[in-house]
Amino acid sequence: MIDIKKTYKNYVGGKYVRSESGKTYTKELKNEFYELPLTSKKDIRDAVTSSKDGYKKWSSTTPYLRMQILYRLSEMIEGNKESYVELLMDHGLTKQKANKDIDESIQNIVWFAGLADKWEQLAGNLNPVSEEYFNISHQNPIGVVFSLSGSNISLNELLMSILPSLTVGCSVISYSEENSVVALKFAEDINNSDFPSGSLNILSGKFENILDDVSKHVEINLVALHKELDNDGLKSIEENASESVKRVFSQPSIEGLSSILPYLETKTVWHPKGT
Amino acid sequence: MIDWEYSESIESAEIVSIKKKYANYIGGKFLEPKSKKYLDTISPSTENLLAKVPLSNQQDVNSAVNAARIGFETWSKISPSQRSRYLFKIARLIQERSREFAVLESLDGGKPIKESRDFDLPQVAANFFYFAGWADKLDLSWSTKSLKPYGVVGQIIPWNFPLLMLAWKIAPALATGNTVVLKPAESTPLTALLFAEICEQAGLPAGVVNIVTGDGSTGSLIVNHKDINKIAFTGSTQVGKLIQKSLAGREVGLTLELGGKAANIVYEDAAIDQAVEGVVNGIFFNQGHVCCAGSRLLLQESIHDQFISKLEKRMQSLRVGNPLDKNTDIGAINSKEQLDKITNLVNEGLEDGGELFQTQCDLPGNGFWFKPTLFTNVQPSYSIAREEIFGPVLTTLTFRTPEEAVEIANNTEYGLSAGVWTEKGSKILWTADRLDAGVVWANTFNKFDPSSPFGGYKESGFGREGGRHGLLSYLKASS
Amino acid sequence: MGKVINTTNPSLQWSDVLEMINDSRIDSVGLNERVNSLSTRSIKKDSKLDALNMIVSMCDLTTLEGEDTEGKISQMVAKAIKPDPLDTSISSVAAVCVYPSLVSIAKEKVSNSNVKVAAVSSYFPSGQVPMESKLLDTKYAIDSGADEIDIVINRKAFLEGDFRKVFDEIVALKEVCNDVHLKTILEVGDLKTYENIRKASIISLVAGSDFIKTSTGKLAIGSSRQACYVMLKSVLDYEALSGVKAGIKVAGGIRDSKDAIRYLVMINEEMGSDWLSPNLFRFGASSLLDDVLKQIKKLKTGAYQASYYFPRG
Repeated sequence: MIDIKKTYKNYVGGKYVRSESGKTYTKELKNEFYELPLTSKKDIRDAVTSSKDGYKKWSSTTPYLRMQILYRLSEMIEGNKESYVELLMDHGLTKQKANKDIDESIQNIVWFAGLADKWEQLAGNLNPVSEEYFNISHQNPIGVVFSLSGSNISLNELLMSILPSLTVGCSVISYSEENSVVALKFAEDINNSDFPSGSLNILSGKFENILDDVSKHVEINLVALHKELDNDGLKSIEENASESVKRVFSQPSIEGLSSILPYLETKTVWHPKGT
Repeated sequence: MIDWEYSESIESAEIVSIKKKYANYIGGKFLEPKSKKYLDTISPSTENLLAKVPLSNQQDVNSAVNAARIGFETWSKISPSQRSRYLFKIARLIQERSREFAVLESLDGGKPIKESRDFDLPQVAANFFYFAGWADKLDLSWSTKSLKPYGVVGQIIPWNFPLLMLAWKIAPALATGNTVVLKPAESTPLTALLFAEICEQAGLPAGVVNIVTGDGSTGSLIVNHKDINKIAFTGSTQVGKLIQKSLAGREVGLTLELGGKAANIVYEDAAIDQAVEGVVNGIFFNQGHVCCAGSRLLLQESIHDQFISKLEKRMQSLRVGNPLDKNTDIGAINSKEQLDKITNLVNEGLEDGGELFQTQCDLPGNGFWFKPTLFTNVQPSYSIAREEIFGPVLTTLTFRTPEEAVEIANNTEYGLSAGVWTEKGSKILWTADRLDAGVVWANTFNKFDPSSPFGGYKESGFGREGGRHGLLSYLKASS
Repeated sequence: MGKVINTTNPSLQWSDVLEMINDSRIDSVGLNERVNSLSTRSIKKDSKLDALNMIVSMCDLTTLEGEDTEGKISQMVAKAIKPDPLDTSISSVAAVCVYPSLVSIAKEKVSNSNVKVAAVSSYFPSGQVPMESKLLDTKYAIDSGADEIDIVINRKAFLEGDFRKVFDEIVALKEVCNDVHLKTILEVGDLKTYENIRKASIISLVAGSDFIKTSTGKLAIGSSRQACYVMLKSVLDYEALSGVKAGIKVAGGIRDSKDAIRYLVMINEEMGSDWLSPNLFRFGASSLLDDVLKQIKKLKTGAYQASYYFPRG
């Protein structure tokens, strides 16, 4: 009989939910055990349903409000900094590294918070067409994003797999394998924040179990892989994605403006200028 | 009162000399295909043989990709301002030879001379001019770090705007420092081969532009070539999906500009006469062989009858016939295959219960032709309301509220373009925001400009062509 | 050519104006594009000769000057009846257009030819007099034998937004005209916007105008193909409402055959062949006719012509 320190559930639609399969797996950290949900195919479908709803709410939230909700998240992480540092240290990080990770996390949230009401100015523009037309290219968020987080134990890396798409108004299904204890702890802060339900769903498990379902699901608009997969895995994801012309980004850039470009659809609107 | 018939006014074809047999353009040379095989290209308005062009095989594609690789060494090293100068020069040379190109485009593709002369060719030159100016300003284009060209880009283009699609592909690719292997469509290879002469005239370094002709098998050889860094494809969604699949697991960039089934939404408070013009231009421009064609007319119920009666009257004034006649509005359907596809879909629409209106006009005996066609009484479930017809066939659906209009407009796997007609500004913006479409034409339709990004949402593809956004299709972030 | 016009447009109700005027939305950019695309038609050979002959038959030769004398009117009428004395295959023009005081002279000169006499009245070109004067002016022209009356709309009232006054005045003048053909001049150069032209067209048509006419010819801005397009769409919409086919006269600024042919193309493609008749379409232009005659001779002989081959009008 092992001693379970904490049982985590997936975070979907603003609620903590068990995997409908009832399956879990355990992770041992410093002789303590965490029970984590093993996400099933059905769980993915439920998460997509929730994310579609979350997308409607989040994408229609004003940039000004999105900015404030993101900024408040940074305040919450700051308030909980000690517990994050402790958890990272339980995973074996040094205190210095753990502190650095949380400091960077906070800094990055603040950076993206400030981007929430500016990216449209940076990524869109008026086009100087030759005739008597007003012509502007602006951006829409692409929709529901599935984001596979990296294998390092890090709140900051988790955030960098979420923030770029979330900031521009996408809803995100964040999926973690190795980093899932951190991810599911982070879900608690999301739950206490003002993100509308379904805008960010956080799940854990084995990616290979759900790889096919994710890449074939037509209502997932984009798959972002922040983790190097073996070639067969990537190939089958991209093959599946081609059936609905789904966008797949393997290890997309997380630098500056490049970080958000994959999550934007450019819409160009023309209108005559006349009397 | 008299019946005033316009006499024929034929653009002379003498300006262009068509060779009996063409060669590929590889590494700055015109090379006979190693396959020793050729394809016939005919004029769809007469079915007469125009020329034979290479049916390129693996060896031919290999030489072209190798030449482009060598070309890339040169091209990526010359100064950006030099690259800019080459593109300016190409633009100027196209302007100078535009009549020749226009006639050849109409002969090989079937489109009316007034369109090839007044639309395609001016746009081709404009695209080279526009991207010429970007070549030495890439560092100003996006506030992102270290954008680099892909290297060798394979480009596969369709038959509807043969030379314009070439310009959309080659101009930004070259401006960003890539080199290209371009394959024109099987049925319209001639203007691309004439463009090779422009490259020679401009003194473009060998291997920067390579043009190989062939059919789908040649295209597939380019896609699957091991030394290609990026594929840019314009064509059907079906083929686009196959290309995306072929590239799975490979580190090859991809942009796709695929099909569409655009809604053209006319609200009751539209400027009706201009909306009628826009709807006509939206579907009958270029025989409806336009991926962003406004093929689904969405009419608010209150104006349905008035609008349809004006539309039918306007359609009747469209002149179908010889593409080289300056007064032709609608030319020939591009191929027998396409004509069969249109015919089958229209028959299906009739069987489903759609009401058909076709204009009264005489069609020439030879060649491939289809009368301007309008379907009313169509249900959203009919295949004519869902499938891309790619011909001069418009289907009409009705709606009651703005919400319903948007819902019907977005009820498709495509998301390339859409039209909105209302004189109420707030309704335009409300509607445009909600349409899943890469291009929204408000109180206009089928407008293009090199500075204006073009490309689709959903299964209409990804990536943009044109404008500052179009540069990103040929640049990748590198560390 | 020059057939007797039997039916005139009956005045309808003000409520019909209100119904139609709501639908005056026009996008100027789209309209200009359509008009420009029509101007790319290439009219050659027989179709050009047909067009030129039509233009002659649709011309209203006009002199509207303080210096007009009996001699001037005689010259013009002679030219109207036989535009090219050396080519009898060319028809006479549709009408001559003069001030009311010269109607009886013009009427006498046209005698039994097909050429109509039109009079500009209602204090053309400004119309800035009391209504009683406009009615008297018009009545005088009719009593002098005018076949057609060209009036101007009350632009003061129009631009002040008093559309009802504009309408009532036309209705009253129409009553005086009875079955004498009424042409109403909108003076598009004063109205400026396409929507104003559309509204003025509708008011004029519903009030019973048989023709609507672009301009007085006294302003720097005369007719334009764009204005004509707005008017022809109004005429078609009015036909859909009332069943009456009204006519259009374009005047002012149409100087050469090429321009006139572009108008004909527009009429042909937008309205259909019914309107390709002097009964429903007219050109008011003095200098146009000579260029048309030159072009006809050039087509027939292959040689470019000089103006002095054609008599003064």
